[in-house]
Amino acid sequence: MIVKDVFSDILLGLAVVVVLGASVGVLAMRDAYQKLHFVTPAAMVAPALVALAVLVQMGVYENTGESFLALLFVVIAGPFLSHATIRAIRVRERGDWRPDAAGKASAEEKEQ
Amino acid sequence: MVMGFVAAAIAMLIAIIPAGIVLCRDELASSVVAYELITSVIVIVLALLAQGFQRSSEFELPVLLAVLMFGSGLVFVRAMERWL
Repeated sequence: MIVKDVFSDILLGLAVVVVLGASVGVLAMRDAYQKLHFVTPAAMVAPALVALAVLVQMGVYENTGESFLALLFVVIAGPFLSHATIRAIRVRERGDWRPDAAGKASAEEKEQ
Repeated sequence: MVMGFVAAAIAMLIAIIPAGIVLCRDELASSVVAYELITSVIVIVLALLAQGFQRSSEFELPVLLAVLMFGSGLVFVRAMERWL
C-alpha cells in the first residue's frame, strides 16, 4: 500500500512539475510560435503521468475508466489544436499558411 | 479523500497563474495559446479532483470538458484566423 502511494505521489509530482514548467515557459517566451511549444508537454506528458498515477493508486474500474477517457481526449486533441493554432497564426500574419503562397503574396505587395 | 490527488490538483491550479497572466495581458495569438494550455490543465485538474474526492458524479465533468475543449479550441482558432 505504501509503495503504491509513494509511486503515485512521485508521478503526480512529476505531472505538477511538467505543468508548472509549461506554464512558466508560456510566460517567458517571446512570441506565440515559441509559446506553443510549451503547450505540448502539458497536453501530452502531464495527462499520461496522471493516468499512470491513477492506474497505480486506484487500479482499473468504471470511474477510473472515465478519467482515462478524459485524459485520452486531452492527449488526442492537443496536437490537433497546436497544428490548427499555428496555421491560424500564420494565416493571420501572412495571408496564407503555405510558404510559397505567403512569399508570392508579399512579393506582389512589394510590386504594388 | 485521497490527499495526493487533491494536493496535485491545487498545485496545478497554482501553476496556471503564469499562463493566466499571458492570457490577460499578451496579444491575441499568445492569449489563444495560453487558453489552450489552461483548458488542458483544467481537464487534468477536474480528473484529479474526481479521483481525490471519489464522488461518481464528478467523473463525467472532465470527459465533457475534454470534448468541449477540442471543439471550442478549433472554433476559437478559426475565428482568430478569419475575423479577429
